[in-house]
Amino acid sequence: MSQLSLKRLEKSFNEARIIKGIDLEVAEGEFVVFVGPSGCGKSTLLRMIAGLEDVTQGQIEIGGKVVNDLPPVERGIAMVFQSYALYPHMSVYENIAFPLRVEKLPQAEVDKRVGAAAKVLQLESRLQHRPGQLSGGQRQRVAIGRAIVRQPKIFLFDEPLSNLDAALRSEMRIELMELHKRLGSTMIYVTHDQIEAMTMADKIVVLNAGEISQVGSPLDLYHKPDNLFVAGFIGSPKMNFINGKVRSADGSTVAVDLGSLGMLRLPRTSTAVAGQDVTVGIRPEHMSLGEGEFTIETVPNIVEHLGIHTIAYSTLPGGEAFIGLFEGNPEIADGKPLRVSFSVADAHLFDARGLAVY
Amino acid sequence: MTSTRSATLFAFALLAPALIYILTIVAYPLLDTFILSFTNASLRQDYDFVGWANYLRIFGAGNFTDVIIRTFVWTFFSVSIKMIIGMCGAVLLNAAIPGQTLFRVLTMPPWIVPMAIGIFMWGWMYNGQFGMISGLLQNFGIVNGPVAWLAYGNTAFWATIITDVWIGVPMVTIYFLAAMQSIPKDLYEAAWTDGAGRGYRFRRITLPLMVPAIITMSLLSLIATFNSFDIIWILTQGGPSGSTTTMIIDTYKTAMGSRKYGEGAARAVVICIFVSLFCLAYFRAVRKLSQGEAK
Repeated sequence: MSQLSLKRLEKSFNEARIIKGIDLEVAEGEFVVFVGPSGCGKSTLLRMIAGLEDVTQGQIEIGGKVVNDLPPVERGIAMVFQSYALYPHMSVYENIAFPLRVEKLPQAEVDKRVGAAAKVLQLESRLQHRPGQLSGGQRQRVAIGRAIVRQPKIFLFDEPLSNLDAALRSEMRIELMELHKRLGSTMIYVTHDQIEAMTMADKIVVLNAGEISQVGSPLDLYHKPDNLFVAGFIGSPKMNFINGKVRSADGSTVAVDLGSLGMLRLPRTSTAVAGQDVTVGIRPEHMSLGEGEFTIETVPNIVEHLGIHTIAYSTLPGGEAFIGLFEGNPEIADGKPLRVSFSVADAHLFDARGLAVY
Repeated sequence: MTSTRSATLFAFALLAPALIYILTIVAYPLLDTFILSFTNASLRQDYDFVGWANYLRIFGAGNFTDVIIRTFVWTFFSVSIKMIIGMCGAVLLNAAIPGQTLFRVLTMPPWIVPMAIGIFMWGWMYNGQFGMISGLLQNFGIVNGPVAWLAYGNTAFWATIITDVWIGVPMVTIYFLAAMQSIPKDLYEAAWTDGAGRGYRFRRITLPLMVPAIITMSLLSLIATFNSFDIIWILTQGGPSGSTTTMIIDTYKTAMGSRKYGEGAARAVVICIFVSLFCLAYFRAVRKLSQGEAK
């Protein structure tokens, strides 16, 4: 049985429709990540699940029970805020104990639960400190501790790592994944960072302008994006898009005219795309140096040498930006013509509406 | 070395106008008052130094001690009521109610209306024959005949406090409202998510986080109220029979009414010492609070 179920969920602020009919099922113990650009409605959706925003239309069910009109505390959720929302005047202990104090639990029980949370989060030596005396990562852990002690059915995280520096963020990412393993609880996590989404999620929900663009496992989304938006959003550097026109689609091969780059023949069974303006997508990391199945000649205008790999940025004759990512340190220099190629199997094809063609 | 010295000189040059202003307007009169407090200066042209006589007289006679106590009682009630009403007002104005902006604007008149006009208005309201308060109470049958609120010691004491509160509340409310609004919304949402109700959130989040604002406002209000002159002077001139005579009124009466400049100056020095102690407490509190924040 799914633990959280969203049915035709909608949210409007006055005239503006922010969430436009979302259907989603989340299974028990799943780590689900809502990802999307700023303003796509991911935080609003999370806040609706938490009970911090009213539902305009549709239903939210938690554990089979409609919770639309229940206050947050009765929904069995706990939320970790982007700003951590720690009480600056209380000690770490009191911050973590806050939900238990509200519940008026006996002191012995509070001690036990706070102690257990502090142990899991390695905060034992910090319990008497104030939040202001802690580092960003420690504050984050206190916020998580406050969520843990409530023993919720579902944890909600609203961009919890966005205030941390890069090094700490990857450290905390691992800690959160370990925590998920240890607790086995359902976690819903909002981020705009697709690396966080890819590394942490069992299931990613890509949101765009208040609608779900695609739901799937990280690798599904990476290898089989349903549309141009997901293709462009998942993956870093982002997928290259080349505009073309379908010259023929015979049920086994689609021939795409890429102008001066040549004719690209892709194995596709669709015939509906015949004559359409289409987009071919190819990931920068799927490019190889030298000749191959489909070869492009470009002149990089910027080259980044990152040691582990090299990234070359150029512009195609049609005006599209084109990025190639190559392993190691090949001899590439800006302004020097370069022949790169890709395998036809790695190419993606999107029709005139931006939907993937298989 | 030369450049350091010229930088120092430049700094002094920049400070000079303010320094001269303060020395002329603040330091000199203060020093003069202090010197005067050891003399028997009056309308006579010449005067003699009388040592501690003025101080011994004001503390020995008993009268001034009563005035000091009355001043503290008057200030205590006025400041406390202002803080309580100000806090309630801020909570109401901070609540998400329709017409919030209108209510915020409506709190301002007592502060915007020129103080003397506001006080005269209260003077009329307290009037026994024509006053609104007495009239209303008579209409409702609460009192039998006209009550001249400023004619009796007890009622005059509270009447002056009420007027002082009326004038002082808007600033306290707006200050508390600003402090309340600076508390991040996230904290309330987190508490609400954890099941904390309105009262619990106020008690455990709003109030503790407002402590710096409450301390600061209380001390500032204490200093202003302690020195409050216009309200009492316009309403009662310290009467009836001295029942609203606070230290500042007493000083004015002694120095300007009885022309006993020396004795008045001694009273002024005592006030100055009290206010300095309040200021000291204020600056200490501010320093302590900012250190607390830095932590």
